[in-house]
Amino acid sequence: MSGAPNRRRAAGGLPGTWGARLLAIAFWLLVWQLAATAIGSRIVLVGPVEVLARLAELAGTGEFWRSVATSLSRIALGFVAGALSGVALAPAARCSRVARELLAPVMGALKAVPVASFVILVLMWVPSSELSVVIAWIMTMPIVYTNVLEGIEQTDPGLLEMARVFGIGPVQRIRLVYVTQVLPYLRAALSLALGLTWKAGVAAEVIGLPDLTIGEHLYEAKVYLDTPSLFAWTVAIVVLSVGLEALARRALDAALRRWEARP
Amino acid sequence: MSEGLALAGVSKAYGALRVLEDVTARFAPGRTHVLMGPSGAGKTTVLRLLAGLEDPDAGRVERPVGARLAMTFQEDRLLDGLTATANIRLPLEPLRGARLERELARERAALEAVGLPVDRRPVRELSGGQRRRVAILRCALADADVMLFDEPLKGMDERTARRVNDFLRPLLAGRTVLWVTHDEREVALLDRPLLWTVREGGVRGPHM
Repeated sequence: MSGAPNRRRAAGGLPGTWGARLLAIAFWLLVWQLAATAIGSRIVLVGPVEVLARLAELAGTGEFWRSVATSLSRIALGFVAGALSGVALAPAARCSRVARELLAPVMGALKAVPVASFVILVLMWVPSSELSVVIAWIMTMPIVYTNVLEGIEQTDPGLLEMARVFGIGPVQRIRLVYVTQVLPYLRAALSLALGLTWKAGVAAEVIGLPDLTIGEHLYEAKVYLDTPSLFAWTVAIVVLSVGLEALARRALDAALRRWEARP
Repeated sequence: MSEGLALAGVSKAYGALRVLEDVTARFAPGRTHVLMGPSGAGKTTVLRLLAGLEDPDAGRVERPVGARLAMTFQEDRLLDGLTATANIRLPLEPLRGARLERELARERAALEAVGLPVDRRPVRELSGGQRRRVAILRCALADADVMLFDEPLKGMDERTARRVNDFLRPLLAGRTVLWVTHDEREVALLDRPLLWTVREGGVRGPHM
């Protein structure tokens, strides 16, 4: 009842939250368009209208969709591999001191070394078509590993004590006590890793130039000073990133809810 | 090994704090034992020793060989992400099919009997008092030989406490039950309990 007027007052007399957001976006799009017109050089800056036109043009070609599908499937493969290995290694590190100490510098290095260095190094080992798979893997694994390990360590000792008194066997203990404690950590790790991995994967393609990928098109835009295409491909990458994250979050939430609603 | 639960010459200290001193107490099997005493007297320590969660500094803790244990703690110790029924079923072996359905029916009847909602919400959405009752049901339905209750009805209104105990009484019959409380009214809710007092480092009883 009293929520609406309060909210309006909180926004300083501006219309509701969504309206304010759209206005802000419209404002910056206008600034962008005006700047592009003022500069008057298509190489330096193109306006949003032209970018959208170019994007629509690209979206009408089969090459655009083939490139998106290729990049997406390779990076997704690496992401899944990274998530699986992170999930598998974390319990091993929890159980074995040796495994943990051995893994610590590896995960630390994977997180600390710049992606560009890895890209060039990996290019010496694998063909460029498999580059983004490996890079996505390298990006995802340490994030998932660190978070899942943290989740395992944060498991309430009171719950473990309870499981001990009731004589709950190891399988049930892992399935119910640990998994329910770790799932929120895993969810956070996956949605964080998804965005980072996607961007790193495309960056790897720009350097490795595998055929028919988003990265290759970005590189071509640079070589031919084709700024409209550069912007159009960038918009496509952002849209895919936001869309994928929303999709993944929904899927994970639904899985979590189903897990929790079991009678 | 004796048949029942027993403490034989047990001492226990936490750092400089001596909680139990040379305590000997035998808890007859198949009966309900009520442990009363002031806060901090060591009632919870007695339960934790009997559950095997603490080792005595001196003396021996005796437990029937192969006895299955169930317990409520001072905290609820529920799995927040699971439903009430999944929490109650935790001590049991995994069930499926018709056996799961039978067990679910038993759990739902138990939830209704103690005034809890029967739905698919995870227990993190339940109130503190409701969570407490889920923890009591997990202990009572665990099919255990020995049940240890650590102030289970603490903070519960009298009507709910009566309702919970009306449900518990037949489940406790014939099992070895240790019931810690400092509320004398709870004694009346239990079936022919044996009374013990825990104070000043000793456990005395049973008082007839």
